[in-house]
Amino acid sequence: MIALYNSRSWKLSSYIIALVLIVPVLVMLVGGVSASTQLYAHLWQTVLPSYLENTLLLAFWVVLLALFFGVFSAAIITQTNIVFKQQLRWLLLLPLAMPAYLVAYLYTDLFDYAGPVQRALRAWFGWQSPTDYWFFDIRTLPGAALMLALVLFPYIYMLTRGAFEQQDQNLIRASRLLGLTAKQSFFKVALPLARPAIAVSASLVLMETLADFATVQYFSVNTLTTAIYDTWLGYGDLGAANALASILMLLVLFVVLAEQRSRAGLRHQSARPNLTRELIQLSFGQQFIASVFCWALVILGFLLPITLLIIMAVQYSDVAQLSVLLSTGINSLKVSVFAATIAVIIALSLGLYQRLHNDKFRQIPQLISGFGYAVPGTVLAMAMLSTLGPLDHWLNGVVEFIGFTAPGLILSGSLFAVVFALVVRFSAIANGTIASGIKQIPRSLDYAPASLGVNLIGSLTKVHLPILTPAILVAWLLVFVEAMKELPAVLLLRPFNFETLSSQIYQLISDEMLEQGALGAILIVLFGLLPIVLLNNSKEKV
Amino acid sequence: MTALLTTQSPIKPIALLTIEQLSITLQEKVVLSTLDLSLDEGDILGLVGASGCGKTTLLNAIAGFSKPTKGKVIIDGHLLSSNGLSGGEYSVPAEQRQVGMIFQDYALFPHLTVKENIAFGLGKLGRAEQLEQIGHLLTLLKLNEYRDSYIHQLSGGQQQRVAIARALAPKPKLLLLDEPFSNIDARLRNELMVEIRQLLKQFKMTAIFVTHNKDEVFTFADKMAVMAQGKLLQLDAPNIVCQQPNSYQVADFLQLGSWLPCQVNSANVHSLLGDFDIANSGDKQTGLAYLLVKPSKLQLNSLVDKQNIANAQVEYISVTEQGYHYYLSSLDGLAKDKSLAFSKLSLYSDIALSFKQKVAVSIKPHDFLFFNKNN
Repeated sequence: MIALYNSRSWKLSSYIIALVLIVPVLVMLVGGVSASTQLYAHLWQTVLPSYLENTLLLAFWVVLLALFFGVFSAAIITQTNIVFKQQLRWLLLLPLAMPAYLVAYLYTDLFDYAGPVQRALRAWFGWQSPTDYWFFDIRTLPGAALMLALVLFPYIYMLTRGAFEQQDQNLIRASRLLGLTAKQSFFKVALPLARPAIAVSASLVLMETLADFATVQYFSVNTLTTAIYDTWLGYGDLGAANALASILMLLVLFVVLAEQRSRAGLRHQSARPNLTRELIQLSFGQQFIASVFCWALVILGFLLPITLLIIMAVQYSDVAQLSVLLSTGINSLKVSVFAATIAVIIALSLGLYQRLHNDKFRQIPQLISGFGYAVPGTVLAMAMLSTLGPLDHWLNGVVEFIGFTAPGLILSGSLFAVVFALVVRFSAIANGTIASGIKQIPRSLDYAPASLGVNLIGSLTKVHLPILTPAILVAWLLVFVEAMKELPAVLLLRPFNFETLSSQIYQLISDEMLEQGALGAILIVLFGLLPIVLLNNSKEKV
Repeated sequence: MTALLTTQSPIKPIALLTIEQLSITLQEKVVLSTLDLSLDEGDILGLVGASGCGKTTLLNAIAGFSKPTKGKVIIDGHLLSSNGLSGGEYSVPAEQRQVGMIFQDYALFPHLTVKENIAFGLGKLGRAEQLEQIGHLLTLLKLNEYRDSYIHQLSGGQQQRVAIARALAPKPKLLLLDEPFSNIDARLRNELMVEIRQLLKQFKMTAIFVTHNKDEVFTFADKMAVMAQGKLLQLDAPNIVCQQPNSYQVADFLQLGSWLPCQVNSANVHSLLGDFDIANSGDKQTGLAYLLVKPSKLQLNSLVDKQNIANAQVEYISVTEQGYHYYLSSLDGLAKDKSLAFSKLSLYSDIALSFKQKVAVSIKPHDFLFFNKNN
């Protein structure tokens, strides 16, 4: 392919942007790897084994449960004649909007010893104390795994459902004509063909699980993320926190590699998805079981928690809450608007560079800038601290040397660090959306402006950017929403006394006072619904 | 409406496939309308028609993927689908029909090797029998060296061989081929068609193959069926269909010649290319009709003089292997009756003519074929 433009400053700035995005994590990794073996030995002898074990166990259970929920629901929706299919089809996506820590809090509230369920049971059966009966304890590792799986399984549902729906129906027809029933064809053809999509979505769930902080913290399950947080905020030990973050980062890298490998398998799909498919006809009993399964996921993952939140909001909302909500909301808005705008500008610049520049390795800046999504927020926060902290010290030294008063921690102690971290983390989302928008522009449109005597700037402003407007809006919105929801990075990096919606809700949850923030929590869920609506609509169009 | 079958012979006892009054309505659109068809064992039928005429739906109805709104499908004496005619809805599921299919894009399983693809429909056989059958087909289709390859590693022609081997493996009673050659490079196509035809004959396979290219029918099929708007217009040996098309649509779809509007009277015919006698012709329909003019039946008299009065002019010129190809239109002055004017009469000649040149053309005497446009 021929690329058109040759500007050196564009090339330089593209590489610098990519480098800036990746440097903090590199600095942290270098710090982590070169930390004294003594430190690692100490960690290994004390807390590390149990943290690692918890992290891996949690990941294992979440993935297992999410696969069970996601693959079965996708199969039921696409392959059978389940009733209310059209409604369940999108309802099953909604749990994705529900942060796991909210579900965790609400269900703890519901099922705790002092909660309404156990109170009702005691009243009903006349039990007096916990010794009179057995009741499951939700604040455990399996409990945390269930909470996470309940809100993460839609990743698997969505991608697997997509894989099933995109499958060439002629493959199923061929299987039928070769003597296999609809059910046999599902297991021998449809399911094996969906394997790459299932693997990709499972690794997404795995990444989200490794990155989770608030749920496990609330359940007091000590994983690597909680360890990083405690080591830094509790003991102020940057070295140890860095080392833990590096270990977590390595775990994530393994998952990323596995994910890339499975993506390579996502080839053969999508030829004739619109042919009518013959559905597996469920018997009455099967229909009942399938319906209970799907509705339980929708209710437990979304409808019940949102109802509980609404009840809380109605019971406890007052003016004081509203004013807190307003101030934290404005803070969230500020941070998210900055992050979304910067991420979109970077994505545009690198995406168009990839498309139009002459550089032989023009895809590299974009590739590098996208990796941040895999980095858990806690790790990213440590990376910012270990990079921006020394930078601040150096800056202060320079300023004092010139003869001014030192400005303080202007990078690591300000919104700069928060926004920077959010941009690194969510650049991949903006990149992906804008790159796919760019891909849809026909190649000939790159050449047409030049053939009409229009230069690069004219071509960008009159052709590429106007065509990309919808993609730009979607990318901005997606990053904006993710930034609104992001918790651990904000929690570790926010300036003193600076609360965002999510950090405020987390504080309230830690203090067992979510009632005070129910409105804010509902707001976060509503924001979370936006990308789902967007995703669902764009899927329908394909 | 009745189907326009020229071979209206009673259904023979050896018919392998019988379709009776098949109608299919999809989303309130009539896709097939009271279609009758029967096919003898071992015959290869080429089914042609414009896209959207119902060819693929007919294949789907035979395979069991489309349920008839009305009608019957019978293979080898076994009723596979019926609806409406003397009884309720009945349908044998696709996997029990013993009908094989080769899809346009082959629909090979990308997650299985060549060998596993061929073995897919042999689940009911024992291990030894399976291996023997697979080995036989691999050899027959020259696929032995690719037995453990995955589909994406094969060329288009090789993929098609796998599709054929897979479809033949369970020994179906009837094989359906849905535009099987459309993805094959034009230069290889003919060779491959001849080879596969020989293979099917060797297996004594009854087959229906769908195409929109009539030339493929001549190479591949024993019989030709022309479909339009959900109806079967004609079914016969390919040469008979071409020599004696039974309707305007058949002749027009197969592009057997160009159309000359004529005024047919009881004894003679009047056209802008002159009057001629049809006393011997059996058809005595009178009024406006269209004469099918094959290019070979046109006589060009380029020398325009008193005997040869100019009656057409050149509108389009191209060069072909068969000499110059011209489209002629009628001269404005001659056409008192506008309905007799023509604009696209096809003529091949070695004589070079110039654009808008006026020429005198006449029609050689032959078995004239007249058609009504809307019959």
